[in-house]
Amino acid sequence: MDNIAGTKSSLSWAVNISVVLLVLIWLIPTIGLLVSSFRDRDQISASGWWLSPFAVEQNFQVRASADDAVERDGVFVIEGNVFEDGEGEVLRFGGARSNPTASGAGERAELTRDRTLQLEANGDYVYTSPAEITRDPSIYFSTATPPEFSTENYQTIMASDNMDRAFINTLTVTIPATIIPILIAAFAAYALAWMDFRGRGFLIAMVVGLLVVPLQLALVPLLQLHNQVGIGQSFLGIWLAHTGFGLPLAIYLLRNYMVGLPRDIIESAKVDGATDFQVFTKIVLPLSFPALASFAIFQFLWTWNDLLVAKVFLPSNSESWVMTVKIADDLLGSRGGDWGILAAAAFISIAVPLVVFFTMQRYLVRGLLAGSVK
Amino acid sequence: MSPLLQGVLTILIGVGGCVGYFYASNLILDKVIFPPTKTDPGRNINRANIVRPWLFLFPALFALGLYLVYPVIGSFWRSLYNRAGDEFIGFGNYTTMFGDAGFQTALFNNFLWVLVVPAASTFFGLLVAQLTDRLSWGNIAKSLIFMPMAISFVGASLIWKFVYANNADIGLINAIRDLFGASEPLDVLQLRFWNNFFLMFILVWIQTGFAMVILSAALRGIPEETVEAAIIDGANPFQIFFKIKVPQIMGTIVVVWTTITILVLKVFDIVYTMTGGNFGTEILPSYMMSYMFRDDGRATAVAFVIMIIVLPVMIWNIRQARAEMR
Amino acid sequence: MKRRYFAGAAALALVAGMAQADGHQPFAVGEGDFNWDSYNAFAEKYDLSGQTITITGPWTGLDNDNVTQVLSYFESATGATVNYSGSDSFEQDIVISARAGSAPNVAVFPQPGLAADLASQGLLTPLPEGTGDWVQSNYAAGQSWVDLGTYPGQDGTEDLYGFFYKVDVKSLVWYSPEAFDEAGYDIPETMEELKALTDQIVEEGGTPWCIGLGSGAATGWPATDWVEDMMLRTQSPEDYDAWVSNEMKFDDPKVVAAIEEYGYFARNNDYVDGGASAVANTDFRDSPTGLFDIPPKCYMHRQASFIPTFFPEDAEFDFFYFPAYEGKDLGKPVLGAGTLWAITNPSDGANALMEYLQTPIAHETWMALSGFLTPHSGVNTDLYANATNKALGDVLLNATTFRFDGSDLMPGEIGAGAFWTGMVDYTTGKDAAEVAKGIQDRWDTIQ
Repeated sequence: MDNIAGTKSSLSWAVNISVVLLVLIWLIPTIGLLVSSFRDRDQISASGWWLSPFAVEQNFQVRASADDAVERDGVFVIEGNVFEDGEGEVLRFGGARSNPTASGAGERAELTRDRTLQLEANGDYVYTSPAEITRDPSIYFSTATPPEFSTENYQTIMASDNMDRAFINTLTVTIPATIIPILIAAFAAYALAWMDFRGRGFLIAMVVGLLVVPLQLALVPLLQLHNQVGIGQSFLGIWLAHTGFGLPLAIYLLRNYMVGLPRDIIESAKVDGATDFQVFTKIVLPLSFPALASFAIFQFLWTWNDLLVAKVFLPSNSESWVMTVKIADDLLGSRGGDWGILAAAAFISIAVPLVVFFTMQRYLVRGLLAGSVK
Repeated sequence: MSPLLQGVLTILIGVGGCVGYFYASNLILDKVIFPPTKTDPGRNINRANIVRPWLFLFPALFALGLYLVYPVIGSFWRSLYNRAGDEFIGFGNYTTMFGDAGFQTALFNNFLWVLVVPAASTFFGLLVAQLTDRLSWGNIAKSLIFMPMAISFVGASLIWKFVYANNADIGLINAIRDLFGASEPLDVLQLRFWNNFFLMFILVWIQTGFAMVILSAALRGIPEETVEAAIIDGANPFQIFFKIKVPQIMGTIVVVWTTITILVLKVFDIVYTMTGGNFGTEILPSYMMSYMFRDDGRATAVAFVIMIIVLPVMIWNIRQARAEMR
Repeated sequence: MKRRYFAGAAALALVAGMAQADGHQPFAVGEGDFNWDSYNAFAEKYDLSGQTITITGPWTGLDNDNVTQVLSYFESATGATVNYSGSDSFEQDIVISARAGSAPNVAVFPQPGLAADLASQGLLTPLPEGTGDWVQSNYAAGQSWVDLGTYPGQDGTEDLYGFFYKVDVKSLVWYSPEAFDEAGYDIPETMEELKALTDQIVEEGGTPWCIGLGSGAATGWPATDWVEDMMLRTQSPEDYDAWVSNEMKFDDPKVVAAIEEYGYFARNNDYVDGGASAVANTDFRDSPTGLFDIPPKCYMHRQASFIPTFFPEDAEFDFFYFPAYEGKDLGKPVLGAGTLWAITNPSDGANALMEYLQTPIAHETWMALSGFLTPHSGVNTDLYANATNKALGDVLLNATTFRFDGSDLMPGEIGAGAFWTGMVDYTTGKDAAEVAKGIQDRWDTIQ
């Protein structure tokens, strides 16, 4: 018995540890970007985000002013302090860009052409040259900069990069594109679930088949169609497109759910003389709320996160860019190396779906199950 | 007019229009076209009920027809014409395309994606579902693994671009390599062939949660008796999992698998933002993008090839649906 | 704490333009040596209050800020509103939106080839009459700029569609004078010396070059500039022209050799920062910052005249002419390019804007910011933001051969497509002949 209990507990340990590991793998990339969105560009390139709570060693350059040079015993000397505010600690220093950390603080470094440089830990330096100093000599040194976190990246991206506009555009695309298909689909789903007519089986099969049609097929002919009827690239066009593309899933999900509603409620209502329209609006629609909610979440996430449809059906200018296009076509290039800004942009675009996701997760799961498990 | 206002107006018009349509059409049907007559009220009600389903279905069918059925035909038709669209060239686009090395790479990569991503997502999903099944904090773990579902492909690409960064001070992968003494950072997105797998993993990362949620529900649905019987027979946990549980949820596994397969064929965002199709990572949707609106003949031909790849899944899905209805 | 702070006052004028984004006017109207007369005359002639002019172009980030600021003078002169949007996938987007009928009023094409494509489909509107004459008489080498902007339209008649505004010289190598000085390197006068210097830097433990091809959907284009420069340094200008028009096939041994000349630098792990694999994935805008790192990540960066826009704010920099082979008698060839402004959706405002671009003030305001060169002969060249830009003019003057960027003249699918991706493939290890063959195959399909 002991033996079995032993394997059981070790097995449960193994299970716990592997789940922790998996969760970590799934979570770490996101955390990394989140942490980086609060760091500035230089800190990001100086140390990994996993070291962000610690001070970072960075190299700096300061130019001593040739005007400050004084002649002492035939040697030209410049004295000063490398820190603007007089505070800081020099770790290492050097007189050449190619080796900025050649000497330790407090040492006296021999430079080319018999020049010397001495830099104390508190930042005081003495630069000497046997010849007259004509151009400002550079002093290179390394110092530890404390970890710094700020919301500056978020402010920059919202204020100067039109991200606020893109946010509003995304919202504008998403909401009508979520609500309209639900209504259309609900009626169709009811007809397919509770009304008897010829061709019903065929229509259900067709909806299932259309679930699979790749979006790519639709792009070229539909944009041409939109051009011909005068919609062109516009918000109206993208709403219609998202409605069309979302319908098969909506009908499929809702029908699956409605079929499962108790038959006697609907039958007895009909016996009492209710029309189909009344049965639908008064009984089926309220009962189907969970399925409606779950499709709404799906469609919301899908349209919010979409890049392809937005690239094709919306005009390509900063006035009507949604966030995904903004990130992919503008920021990734113009802010290519600026991870802090990119990370902040990413989190602005992720925030709303994440909130929706965590508050409505129950419905999402229920919808998924209705859609695929019998 | 500001787009936001336009949006609000659209919601009002759209919702109002839909409700109005359904209400009015039903009313007209019942009161005007087939009013219940005094002599034989049943006859007209029956006639009205034959028409009514089509009133309910019309908007949906119209939108489906316009936005999904017509494009399938329209795309196919367009793909038979040359780049300018003014000359019928039969299957010319297809033959030149299949001779193009870029297309061959894209097709090959797409098959890799279709094979690997659904398999890996289902595998990880099943693994997590089983491991968290009896765990006290299982729901939290599941919630966290499910989270990437809410993140856009573009956002996810950014997250992973950061992990893959070619710099030991930025990218986690290179930091770990550095820890183990690698002298030079490595750009994993440029490792020919293997870079595809690094891109695929992003989609696996997103889709595992989906697979997990469904499979976990299926696991819960397994009758307790079968598992208990196996325990009494002395089966170890692995045997219980593979011999008792997995066969019972095989149907669900297949559903998850096909659903992810369909999704894989739509995703172009990841390749577009990560590599732009360079370094031999092109897949059909991104390959199509580089031709779209320049050579529509070629672009629609690519789209149709994607359609042909999903056709088996589509047929299987339809047969499943029909079987269920019987 | 700033990354680098200077005790001395060494800030460059270029900073002025960067500090103020959001279309604030960086120079007060009426102040400085600008040609404000042309501004006032224009303001009197036009009142476009209430009109909106939309423009799309390839510039994002700092260039976007610059162009917005420059156009703000047009706005204040006429009362019109100008909306400029830049996109990394401009080349794709403009085609889609022009077809969709939602094109902006004005499009800024980085490639004449793409503009010619659209003109032939009837998607561009010819420029107002007289523009051609104006360019001819006011631009240095005016006729060549007219020729580059003239294409057959849908019905086959030739018209002037594109107006060049913002010109770049490409055959330049950027460096940090401080780094060169401290290391004791001399400016190479010939390609042989440049190659020797490259080896010398490696011997002394440094990395000579920073090269980055990354540019979003346009990734690869910086390499096409290298190849074009190498083509001009190994083959005659006539061969270059033949190559651009595809009379000489892309997989001709001469072209393959030029690609391999580029590979001599870019595919050598010792020569480039991060090794050859970093080249293809580093963004071209990030790549030159390595020149100014402490210690320097590299010493030289070959890029066009616009690149200082992307240097760190406080960087001290200079350039030298990307030299030619002494051993080959090809003189001093210079490669250049320019952006072409064309009307994609005609309106009064669009016409007025095109006319505004002919005024000296339109050129001078951007000259005083950064990254702008102009062939306009009627501007005050003292207004260039720094001595560097002035010196750039000399490169143009000393050129024995001037050629326009070849990839920009090729059809869009090649010059803004297959050539780019081909160069990425080559840089990451594919065989040059194979890559060239692939590009030629693609070219064959569109003829």
